[in-house]
Amino acid sequence: MTGLVDSKAIEQSLTREEQLALKNKRAGMAIFQISWILIFVVLIWANLGLRGQETTWPPPGVERYDVVLPIIASVLLILSGFTARSGLQAVRTGDLARFTPMWRATLVLGVIFVGIMAFEWVNTTATGNYGMLLRVMVAFHAVHALVIGAFLWNVHQNRARYNPVNFWSVEAAAQLWYFVVVAWLLFFVVLYII
Amino acid sequence: MASVSLPAGAIPGSTQQTAPRLRVSDFLRWSVDHKVIGVQYMVTSFFFFLVGGTLAMMIRWELLTPELDVAVSGAQYNTLFTMHALVMIFLWIIPMLAGFGNYLIPLMLGAKDMAFPWLNAFAFWLIPPAGILMLISFFVSPPEAGWTMYPPLSVQYSGDGQTLAALGAHLLGISSILGAINFIVTILNMRPAGMSLWQMPLFCWSVLATSIIQVLATPFLAGALTLLLLDRMAGTTFFVPTGGGDPLLWQNIFWFYSHPAVYIMVLPAMGMLSEVLAVHARKPVFGYKLVALSSMGIGVVGFVVWAHHMFTSIQPQLRIPFMITSMIIAVPTGIKIFSWLGTIWGGKIRFTPAMLFALGFLSMFVIGGITGVTLAAIPFDVHVHDTYYVVAHFHFVLYGGSVFGIYAGIYHWWPKITGKEMNARLGHIHFWATYIGFLASFMPMHISGMLGMPRRVAVYLPEFQTLNTITSLGAFVLGLSTFIIIIAAVQSLLAGKKTTANPWRALTLEWATTSPPPATNFVNDPVVFPDPYGYGTPEAAAYVAMIEAQFDGKPSSERGIQTGGATPAPAPSVGD
Repeated sequence: MTGLVDSKAIEQSLTREEQLALKNKRAGMAIFQISWILIFVVLIWANLGLRGQETTWPPPGVERYDVVLPIIASVLLILSGFTARSGLQAVRTGDLARFTPMWRATLVLGVIFVGIMAFEWVNTTATGNYGMLLRVMVAFHAVHALVIGAFLWNVHQNRARYNPVNFWSVEAAAQLWYFVVVAWLLFFVVLYII
Repeated sequence: MASVSLPAGAIPGSTQQTAPRLRVSDFLRWSVDHKVIGVQYMVTSFFFFLVGGTLAMMIRWELLTPELDVAVSGAQYNTLFTMHALVMIFLWIIPMLAGFGNYLIPLMLGAKDMAFPWLNAFAFWLIPPAGILMLISFFVSPPEAGWTMYPPLSVQYSGDGQTLAALGAHLLGISSILGAINFIVTILNMRPAGMSLWQMPLFCWSVLATSIIQVLATPFLAGALTLLLLDRMAGTTFFVPTGGGDPLLWQNIFWFYSHPAVYIMVLPAMGMLSEVLAVHARKPVFGYKLVALSSMGIGVVGFVVWAHHMFTSIQPQLRIPFMITSMIIAVPTGIKIFSWLGTIWGGKIRFTPAMLFALGFLSMFVIGGITGVTLAAIPFDVHVHDTYYVVAHFHFVLYGGSVFGIYAGIYHWWPKITGKEMNARLGHIHFWATYIGFLASFMPMHISGMLGMPRRVAVYLPEFQTLNTITSLGAFVLGLSTFIIIIAAVQSLLAGKKTTANPWRALTLEWATTSPPPATNFVNDPVVFPDPYGYGTPEAAAYVAMIEAQFDGKPSSERGIQTGGATPAPAPSVGD
């Protein structure tokens, strides 16, 4: 489905100041994402560091996590990244009729993801460093998903305001949601795969 | 060198600012003006400098004699040096340099404000609550694990104050990340037409390098502090060996932040040094590009040297690689030193207080740098590890480097910020008191350290008493010297002579406007001088004369100025 207007042309028709403001915001967001993802890297460092003390991982006598539900949650989260992207493109091309369902799909998929991981968090029986790392990393990620999800919800509530000229809040929310997706994929690999 | 033209409408007298003068109350409330925020940063952090200084005086009083004097116990003494370091690092040096960056970067770039003014104000207003948390922590079972907060000390033994101090450091880290994002975007996106990256003042380069380090390193502190707080409050055992945790993990993550952080603490001061030395020696900076790149080089290599803080605790096979990288990082630093020497060599040096402090920085930093190289050598480091030699080293770079640089910056930009002249005689007295007090307090530490006096002890062997007494007396002189600059500042604010737009005849853009600058920084679009350090050329003289004519109404010497002609090329001011 093509949009109603050409978003690139609209962006170029902005004033010099508006274009600079947009350029600044995009650069600022990119630097923020690079910076903040490093906190997740610290947790990965802690994970790898602590497992380095053990001979096997998970440690002897500790059962490996079941990976089925987390895989379903991860697939849904990746899907939500695409729906967020689609919603953003809809706003930028003036296709507001497509924006609302896409954005709602993102929110619903995000809620299901957090719900599944909360279920895992509550029901995990793993102890020791293995269990501690799972609980801390999943919770740390969930806090980000919830805070940024609240921002997505805020964008949803104010959806009437956004159009091909005024779209930065939508773009920022989508960018932060991509961040949630990427951060989770890093954690998923560390927690469940390697 | 391009010819210099007057911008349209630059008739003497046409740039009188009509905006009302800022009052004290304007600095106590939320403002998004980067100049107000810059002053807020500087005044706040100077307050914490006095707090940290008071703690330092108590430390030195304690060490005046080998027995316990001030502290009732060794544990109480631990709280003194822990708070001293936390306050000095997180609440004085880092925010003070951020204050200079905030005030100067938009002005140097000819911009009206930072890229994100609101974010800028937000980053500042995280500091007072963080400072209050730190100060409260001192009064509720203060942290006593040292500023490095090594577990298990910081988890199992230190009191609730440790939690508050860690929270405070967390807030300061977030403030620092947000401020750094703002600096990077401002410097990359908001330069005026006619100023390429390679024509930026070197202070902008150093702040750019610092900010890149901040966004890449500070998250590691944030992550480590998060885990530490969880260990303290949520019962996790990341760093607690009894629960299966690893104390070395903290050391690695902490120094992965904190070694780059020492460059956060000194690079902006180095940038200020390049400005001050060039202006007051009337010479171009020697090797501009190398100085700019060496900041970046320090930023990059700074990430791979962290384990030299842990030579006695890491796996022995890792020592040599980290020794090599630590020695390599002396190269970009050495480039800077030689560039500064080349800059002042044969210059027409004016011994203003700013220049004296800059020269003081240069001499002290050479000593601090050389002791740094000696500490990078493993055989020597193992010998002096945790002795006063290390304390001497980092005070030579942090006080002799950063604080001398900050003093140079204060004397240099005071007229621009306040619009008043500062008493140069008091400045000279301040410099000599600081210089002599500094040498007397920190030079003997090299000797006591090599003789084996351990750091972080309240009670020491009587054989070290002479050296420690000299150190303490020097420290008291150093402490008192701080009040001279306060007196000079108050005197200048109350009764100082009004200054001109460009009292030092400098070429960078912050001087191409009134002192203090109007709310929008520049009334007319500023004209960029193509070479920020092209001192000694007729064009430079003409440019300075033009600024004088424009802002102070003095008749300019007509050399090289084109007042007529077609459209001049004013730099479009961006970033409204």
